[in-house]
Amino acid sequence: MSERHNGYYKRVSGDAVEYEVFARKTREEPLRQVGSVVAPDDDLAMAYARATYDEERWCEMAIVRKEHVIELWQPGEP
Amino acid sequence: MSLSDLVLSLADNKQMLGLRYAEWATRAPSLEADIAAAAMGLDDLGHSRVLYGCLEPLGADPRGPERESDPAAIRNLAYFDEPWTEWSQFVAANAILDTAFTVVIEACVNGSVEVLRQRLRKMLMEERYHFLHGRSWLRSGIEPAPLLRAWQEALELFGPPGSDIDGLSMGPDQMRARLEEQLETTAPHVTIHWELWDPLRRRTAPGAIDTHTFGMLRGLEEKKYAPPAAAKQTAV
Repeated sequence: MSERHNGYYKRVSGDAVEYEVFARKTREEPLRQVGSVVAPDDDLAMAYARATYDEERWCEMAIVRKEHVIELWQPGEP
Repeated sequence: MSLSDLVLSLADNKQMLGLRYAEWATRAPSLEADIAAAAMGLDDLGHSRVLYGCLEPLGADPRGPERESDPAAIRNLAYFDEPWTEWSQFVAANAILDTAFTVVIEACVNGSVEVLRQRLRKMLMEERYHFLHGRSWLRSGIEPAPLLRAWQEALELFGPPGSDIDGLSMGPDQMRARLEEQLETTAPHVTIHWELWDPLRRRTAPGAIDTHTFGMLRGLEEKKYAPPAAAKQTAV
C-alpha cells in the first residue's frame, strides 16, 4: 500500500499483504482465481475485493492470504 | 417530524455521502482505497435513489420547489457541506456516519412500514463492506477532530431524547446504543445544543452545501457547457 498523504495516516507499504481473490457465478462451476488485492488486514481485504471485483454477478467470493497458499509445484517444474 | 421527513433526510445524506466518497476516488491512499471509495460512492448514490423512490409510496413527499434554488433546503448533515480536504475526514464519515445511516435503515427495515421493510433490506448487505472498510481504517488511527465531529453529527441525526418516530423499530437512545455496539466503543462526550436543532435537517449547525456542489446536484454545472440551442431547450 503506498503512502500519498504524508502524516495524514499511519499505514505504509510494509503493513500490507497480498490476498488472492476467488469467485464463481454458479454453484455448478468451480471457484476460480479472479485477481488479487493488497491490504493490511482481513476486513479491508474483504472490502477491497468486493469493491474491485464486483462487476460480475458472483454467487460466491472468497479471499485467501497469498502466504497461506501451499504450492505443490510451479510452471516449468516436473 | 414525519417518517417521510426522516427518509428524505436519509436520502439527501446518502446522496451527499456518495458524492463526497466519489471525490476521493483518485485521492485515497492506495489504488484499492481509490476503487473502494468509488464503489462505496456508487452504492450510496444508488441507496439515495431508492430512498427518494420511497417518498411517494409513503404518501407525503416533503420535497418542495425551494430545493431547486436554496442549498439550505437540502437536508444533509453539516459534515457534508464542504468537500473533505483530509483522509481522516473520509475515514470518520465512513466509520461513524455511514454506520449511523445504516442504524437508521435498520430501524426502518425492522419497523412497521412495509415499503421500507421491503425496499431497504438490500442496503444492509452492501453496507456491511462499507463498515468493514471504515472500521479497519479507523483502527489504524486518525486525527481526533473529524472523529469527534462525526460522532456529534451522528447523535444529531438520531435526534433529541424522546423524539421517537412512528414506524421505526428504534428511538434515538436505542440507535445510539446500536451505533456504539457496532463500533465496539462508547460515544465521546459531546455537548449538543438541542434548542438549535433543526428537525427537518437533523442538525444544529447553520449553513448549507457549497455553491459548486449545489450546482452540480441541480445539473447547473453541466448546463454551463451545453451548446446555446441545448441551453435554450433546457430553459423552456
